[in-house]
Amino acid sequence: MITGAHSIIRTAEADDAAFLRRLYDPDRPRAALLDRRREPLTPTLDELREVLGGRTKGRQAPSEFLAVEDTTGSVVGFCTMRTSKQERNYAQFVLMLFEEDAYDSPLAEETLAFLKFRAFQELKLNKATAHCLDCESGFRNLLVRNGFESDGVQREVLFTRGRWHNVESMTLFPDKA
Amino acid sequence: MALKSKLFIRRAEREDLDIVVSWMQDPDFARFLYGDPARSPKRIREQIVAMLGRSAGNTAPSAVYLIIDSPDDGPIGLVSLQNLSWRNRSCSVDFYVGSKKHRSGISTAIAYYRALEFCFDELNLHRITAYIYAFNTASWRIMELSGAVREMTLRDHVSRDGRFYDMYAYGMLRPEFETLRDKNSHRLEGKSLAEMVANQQQDSSQTESTP
Repeated sequence: MITGAHSIIRTAEADDAAFLRRLYDPDRPRAALLDRRREPLTPTLDELREVLGGRTKGRQAPSEFLAVEDTTGSVVGFCTMRTSKQERNYAQFVLMLFEEDAYDSPLAEETLAFLKFRAFQELKLNKATAHCLDCESGFRNLLVRNGFESDGVQREVLFTRGRWHNVESMTLFPDKA
Repeated sequence: MALKSKLFIRRAEREDLDIVVSWMQDPDFARFLYGDPARSPKRIREQIVAMLGRSAGNTAPSAVYLIIDSPDDGPIGLVSLQNLSWRNRSCSVDFYVGSKKHRSGISTAIAYYRALEFCFDELNLHRITAYIYAFNTASWRIMELSGAVREMTLRDHVSRDGRFYDMYAYGMLRPEFETLRDKNSHRLEGKSLAEMVANQQQDSSQTESTP
């Protein structure tokens, strides 16, 4: 457990499944929750419990999936670093907070600082990436404030709620972190 | 002037395994592939077997593999349509030309056009995506000539030969394909996918009726 001035970051447990499920909101799609085909997933509570409990072979190890709490101990979101199986020199940052306003808070800054430390100081990665849909402005602004730069925008990759969404890829190199 | 090419694309069969594996084992070819260049021949073979062995009966597959074939030279390359999304009507396209003789030149461009026709006219897709290493100049030039848009440059994304290289992400939407078709239809006269299939059927019926 990492205790900061504004946040507590800890391994997500099976008991956190109901919180995680809240993030799969069809009205608020998130790039990090799309599958390889860029389709939104709608996992059941049981499936999420299995993923967080580490009982699903081949899924992400639960120790890599982290719950973010505020100082009162309430879960306010989740974060993780996804590494590519193909190319192992970078990781994708994922930070999903329930409230859009929370991306503009010291808690979000502290959580991102934790991910940056892990990626660049501990794992010595070449770069970090993050993806955001055109409706994820809070997350995008947080990334820009922290030195991420845009790699470009892929047009009309997700169709949901009757409209197309673009997805932007952002990159941070260690010298800008 | 109409472009002349006898190339056609067809679904990849198990019988294509050996030639596809031989392309993948060629270091000149493997350099352009995504993934670990240190993969063993056994691992490559296993991956190709898994690819070509997917169920033919699946009407909504998540991947389609097509062989670029030539009556004169046999199979020359592979078109891989992956991450097919029937919701977003999109897929990612990988285009491999294994035969060194055909790696540059107009025949490759025509085979690529054939693959686009398949994506937009047969699969009714809205968008295709292609990820290409910056050092694979021949491939990204074809994308740009076709009207695809370089949407992203992923800086220092892949490590080869002890250094990092950029990767480009190209996207083509249906209106961009329509523009390409309008611009080139006169050059590809007699070479549409429908005509290609009809010619093939005619050829095979003639072969069957020959005693």
